[in-house]
Amino acid sequence: MNILLSLSDNLTTFWEYSGFANSTIGHITMIVIGLFFIFLAVKYEYEPLLLIPIGFGILIGNIPFNEAANLQIGIYEEGSVLNILYQGVVQGWYPPLIFLGIGAMTDFTALISNPKLILIGAAAQFGIFGAYFIALQMGFEPNQAGAIGIIGGADGPTAIFITSKLAPNLLGAVAISAYSYMALVPVIQPPFMRLLTNDKERVIRMKTPRAVSQTEKIIFPIVGLLLTTFLVPSGLPLLGMLFFGNMLKESGVTRRLAETARGPLIDIVTILLGVTVGASTQATTFLKFQSLQIFGIGAISFVIATCAGILFVKFLNLFLKRDNKINPLIGNSGVSAVPDSARISQQIGVGYDPNNYLLMHAMGPNVAGVIGSAVAAGILLGFLY
Amino acid sequence: MNMTEKIKLSILVISLLLLAGCNKNIEHPDWVINEVMVNNKTNFIDDFGERHAWIEIYNNTARTQNLTGAFLTNDPNNPKKYPIPQGDVKTIVKPHQHVVFWADNMPSKGTFHLNFKLDPDKENYIALYELDGKTLLDKITIPAGIPADKTYGYEADGIESDQAGNYLGKVLDRVTPGSNNMVIGENPKIVSLKKNDPWGVMITITSMLVVFLGLIVLYFVFKFTGRIAKRLTRLNAIRSGKLSAYKTHEISGEVLAAISAAIYEMDQDVHDKESTILTIDEVKRTYSPWSSKIYNMRQLPK
Repeated sequence: MNILLSLSDNLTTFWEYSGFANSTIGHITMIVIGLFFIFLAVKYEYEPLLLIPIGFGILIGNIPFNEAANLQIGIYEEGSVLNILYQGVVQGWYPPLIFLGIGAMTDFTALISNPKLILIGAAAQFGIFGAYFIALQMGFEPNQAGAIGIIGGADGPTAIFITSKLAPNLLGAVAISAYSYMALVPVIQPPFMRLLTNDKERVIRMKTPRAVSQTEKIIFPIVGLLLTTFLVPSGLPLLGMLFFGNMLKESGVTRRLAETARGPLIDIVTILLGVTVGASTQATTFLKFQSLQIFGIGAISFVIATCAGILFVKFLNLFLKRDNKINPLIGNSGVSAVPDSARISQQIGVGYDPNNYLLMHAMGPNVAGVIGSAVAAGILLGFLY
Repeated sequence: MNMTEKIKLSILVISLLLLAGCNKNIEHPDWVINEVMVNNKTNFIDDFGERHAWIEIYNNTARTQNLTGAFLTNDPNNPKKYPIPQGDVKTIVKPHQHVVFWADNMPSKGTFHLNFKLDPDKENYIALYELDGKTLLDKITIPAGIPADKTYGYEADGIESDQAGNYLGKVLDRVTPGSNNMVIGENPKIVSLKKNDPWGVMITITSMLVVFLGLIVLYFVFKFTGRIAKRLTRLNAIRSGKLSAYKTHEISGEVLAAISAAIYEMDQDVHDKESTILTIDEVKRTYSPWSSKIYNMRQLPK
């Protein structure tokens, strides 16, 4: 009898520690969301490099366990392996490393050859401040509103970096929102691109970009760094690494370093960033009404950024000569989802004129958007931190 | 104005901007003698349960620093009066944190008990010297007659003077040994924004102005460097006697691509039969070298 009682006690204890006994409706909801992310990545190839790590991270982060037992396995339990990896997000180490890789893989030629495209990258930052405005009206504190607003920059690393400084408690929601909408750029942007342009504008053919010398390419990261960081020093970690990565690429004498930065390094950091951001959505911490609000504001901010970029191009065209007009379909590329939004410009453009190739033109505002969002982030940090 | 003059003018303008921004009044000593109590009647008690005068030192940097080996003194002629002992981990001070020394003339009680006292009836000079005993890290002069249980120091930690260079030392309203002199309940920037800009309109306008300003400056710089690059290319072409060849570059990249392809084919012996004639046939459908990229792109999701 005693043996049976002991066995029963042991099995009860085992059951109490199992995921089944500790699961809640929140855990199940998050697991379904994680599976949906993986489905989107595999079935439709929506940003698989982001959605697979994040989706799987959501599964990892939402395996229920006995939190009272202090097993040091959860991402929010100090000293756990996931918690140690998560420090790269919380302390803001990963985003600058991602920017190093982005710098080393980005060709700024389109921007250098046609510098007026830089301004489209500035206009699209209205998405950030539009979202900031809405978040304030919804009752968020200014620092929280700043962190939510940065989703509108369509720049995951920047969003994580700024949120880790301004509102660390919103990190999971902001990061998931930013990366989700970046992945959904092909769904969000095209309707607004069509809505805000007419047939005549969609078939505008832009001038072929001029050839850019190697010297100009080397000058770009140096001047870019000095100008932007003298203006907004708080953007230094992101802008410094972005331009440093580009210097490695363009100098022509650090090929190995550039290849590491744009290859193994960015891959490793992307894996760690994706899986830990995903795991940070632990249902007990993440599932709140506030997270839903952030998701809603994030969607609106992407729409504002897209519309602002397109409308700004139309505004610029009022002042440009007939043979030097800009196709407004590249206005959406002002958001810094590189190169996804530029790819959307191309795909929508060829839909109206099969021989009109907008990709190289759209890359200009696209990379300007990266710079613009990092500058905007630096400004928010200066105002709100 | 020729190109060289324009470059010189641009460099001059940028240099003036940089110099105009240089503020010589800003000084940030690494260590600051932050708060001093000369006459301790009923206030802070040391670890032996006694009351003595105390000196608070503040790490005025964003890095952890070690006070080991530095010297504290109240005598201008004897900078090495109290050597801060080695081997005590408590002398390692985290960024923007404080450490308190007791001026009780009882160094045998431990690292933080000095070998001198402060005199409430006289002016007290206190200085902190570097390991060499010569380099002054910080000093403060406490005026005579500070009331009992009041401290003299700086209202905001580590800030000894304002932008105009005015000294900010004063008798403080609150006694805060080992902690911030100014207690900040809320972020003052946030409080100010909530009060003055509840809709976020001003911050939006300001921020967008700065974003546009930054990128407009980049636009002008690269427009300018682009022009220089074009001129240099042209100059090089003139020097090498290939100006006519250079001019053809300006006509059309697509024509050049076609010529290059034809030359390549000729070089590979796949050209047409006439050995000295290069034939370029125009295809009906306009070709762009970018067209090949379309096959590399992911299709728009349905």
